[in-house]
Amino acid sequence: MSELSRRGFLGIGAVAAAGLSGLLTACSAEPAAPSGGSAATTLRAAFAGGGSAETLNYFVGPSALDFVRARLVHAPLGAIDPAQPDGVSLGALESIDIDDDLTSYTLRLREALTFSDGSPVTSDDLLYSLRAPDELQGLPFTRLVGRGFDLSAAKRLDARTVRLPTASPIADGRLLLCQSMLVIKDGTTEFSPRTPSCGPYLIEGFEAGQQTVLRRNPDWFGDGNGPDEIHLLSISDAEARVNALRGDAADFVSGVSPYSAQSLAEESGFEVSAGEAPYLSNLRFEMNLEHEPFRDERVRRAFRLAVDRQAVVDTVYFGRAAIGNDVPAIGFPSYDSSLEQRLHDPDEARRLLRAAGHDGMSVELTAGPELPGMVETATLIVENLREIGVRATLVELPAGQLYADYEAYQQLPFAAGYNPPAPFEANHTPGTFPEVDTLVATARSAPDAAQRTDASHRAQQLLWEQGNQIIPVFVPTVDAHTDRLSGVRHLQFPDLSAARLASA
Amino acid sequence: MTHFLLVRVGTALATMALLSAALFLATDALPGDAAGTAAGADATAGERAELRERLGLDRPVVERYLAWLGDSLTGDLGRSAAAGRPVGEMLASRFGSSVLLVATAVACIAVAATVLGLLAGLRSGRPVDRLVSSGTVTLLALPEFLLATALLAVFAHGAGLLPAVSLIPLGDSPWQHPQALVLPVASLFLAGVGIATRLLRAAVATAAESPAVEQARLSGERGPRLAWSYVLPAAAPAVQGLAVTTAGLLGGSLVVETLFNYPGVGSELARAVAYRDTAVVQGFGLALAGTALLVLLLGDLVSGLLDVRSRSASATGLRGERRLR
Repeated sequence: MSELSRRGFLGIGAVAAAGLSGLLTACSAEPAAPSGGSAATTLRAAFAGGGSAETLNYFVGPSALDFVRARLVHAPLGAIDPAQPDGVSLGALESIDIDDDLTSYTLRLREALTFSDGSPVTSDDLLYSLRAPDELQGLPFTRLVGRGFDLSAAKRLDARTVRLPTASPIADGRLLLCQSMLVIKDGTTEFSPRTPSCGPYLIEGFEAGQQTVLRRNPDWFGDGNGPDEIHLLSISDAEARVNALRGDAADFVSGVSPYSAQSLAEESGFEVSAGEAPYLSNLRFEMNLEHEPFRDERVRRAFRLAVDRQAVVDTVYFGRAAIGNDVPAIGFPSYDSSLEQRLHDPDEARRLLRAAGHDGMSVELTAGPELPGMVETATLIVENLREIGVRATLVELPAGQLYADYEAYQQLPFAAGYNPPAPFEANHTPGTFPEVDTLVATARSAPDAAQRTDASHRAQQLLWEQGNQIIPVFVPTVDAHTDRLSGVRHLQFPDLSAARLASA
Repeated sequence: MTHFLLVRVGTALATMALLSAALFLATDALPGDAAGTAAGADATAGERAELRERLGLDRPVVERYLAWLGDSLTGDLGRSAAAGRPVGEMLASRFGSSVLLVATAVACIAVAATVLGLLAGLRSGRPVDRLVSSGTVTLLALPEFLLATALLAVFAHGAGLLPAVSLIPLGDSPWQHPQALVLPVASLFLAGVGIATRLLRAAVATAAESPAVEQARLSGERGPRLAWSYVLPAAAPAVQGLAVTTAGLLGGSLVVETLFNYPGVGSELARAVAYRDTAVVQGFGLALAGTALLVLLLGDLVSGLLDVRSRSASATGLRGERRLR
């Protein structure tokens, strides 16, 4: 008859503890992450992904990862490249020729391009690829070409050539064609790992929300120096992605928060890379002209002068952002860099507000975490506005809510927003300033290049003087990778096809 | 007993019906919809309207609720607004992983809470009770993300013993990669063990003063035998406490799954809410609510069966008499 024994209880506790620690030990012996063979190079790249809603059908896939994957699997027509004279570098296409009157484009496919089932890529496939975003009910961003061209009137000229009439004369059609258009096989409606494709990589395996395993396409026309395998990992949480990089479960992670980027940049073994112009999203704060005070051009100018842009770049983005000048599309060929940089001038802002009779006005700024640093920048802007006597308040929405009710969003008096990198003219939304709309139309359709540039610059000048957007910064996608990795190109999305991974 | 069973099952079904309506209406009342999120900022008004019509978001709410309820009863939970994948298929690929995670954590919690609850409850007010109680209260006060972050810092970043993210190779299940389970399970364990221990300790302290236990003690029972054979059965209503903890962990795994990138329903639900993917939120919500109700029902039934107060007095009485002889 022992007394209620402490040892007895400790015994049970010890068994439980031993079980847990046994599990711990058993686990730590196994490798932390899947890896490829010893000779083959495998790049493990982590993106936010879209959970189990991810899809190989990139027309409806909502996440950046769906498009990153699609660009590796299906050959792009080209890519926007401001270093080239035409503003684009070509991929599956050999040439894009424009008629002098800007009413028709001639697209010619590269020779000896084949699908993974061995069939050649023909003009029928190209025609189908151009029409597929509309026919397969793609998301709006995939349907840019359909807005500028008359796809139903497109014609096959020969086995590799297609003639594509425009809806109305446009000069910037190359940019539209090369922004998001990929080549798929004629008649493709279902997208599975077995769907024939003609990109630099082929799909070995795919599980939505978890992983895609890609293997290099031996028939790809490119230099073929990329990794033998690319594993695209879906890790939705930004901190978890950084943890994966630190824990050697990933070699490359996309979409790192400004703060994590700063701390990774100071650690050894990692490198941080940020996209450069033109691949920068514009973070904009729109003053709704339906809101009475903003109808006065002086109020709009006062708000723009109140913002301390350099402070945003320095404190929110730790320098990894480009200063904005209230005009969109920095880095694109037609961007007017001769416009004077607007500076922080609170005194002039106060004077303008007083002159307009809106001294001490109230305003509510609405923002949400849709782009890294959006809420932080909005917070700074609210502070800046208070300094000039505006009674400004910040309404912070939870993730995903800002654009979810677009009609409500458009009614907001003062709201944050962003646009992914895209040329100014083709993505201009008309209806706010008729004069700007006319100039943009001329900038897209005038037969003479100098005329087009002139019209575009005049439109930008007007927006700079009277516009209703504050664009304090252009924000890059910030990625981080191990220092063994090189050759990742920063396009609209990271391009991994030419990445190189040194052995450990 | 049959009456008790019928009443409990009936209540559970009625609760489920109410929950389904509340879930549908609440998700529907959220500002905005998937059409707005999917279209992005550069879409035209026409493109938005077309997307809304295609997703069926232009029909009246009652009509959509009834259609959804009818389809749900036949096992069709609709399609994700994000890419058109059937919600049932998405649920099937994720639910098992979450059940594995929560069940493992609950098994560990049950063992630890029993040991700690008996230890503290039988020595109510003494140093060991104060130690266990302050420990569990501390755990209760710590939010899950803090516990998970601390575990990450120590075991993944510090010691490098365990992976910081649960990456499961293609085609495998999490149970084939126990190393991916350890930190998520440990986080849930720490999040749930506090409340479960508190509930068990209270039940044990009450049971320890019950006549049955008193009688056993008087007849010479001591130590683990007293605890195991007399106190624990008398503290059986605490099973309900474990059921409540389990139901809580089902929903609470959201933070842990997101932080460790564990492929379960929690992380998926978080994404669906952000994306206004109402079909997924409703389908996953319904499955989680159904599972929670089932666990609570089982907890009620088991504690009803185990509760010595509902048993005939003869069993314990006889044992007591044998001891006395």
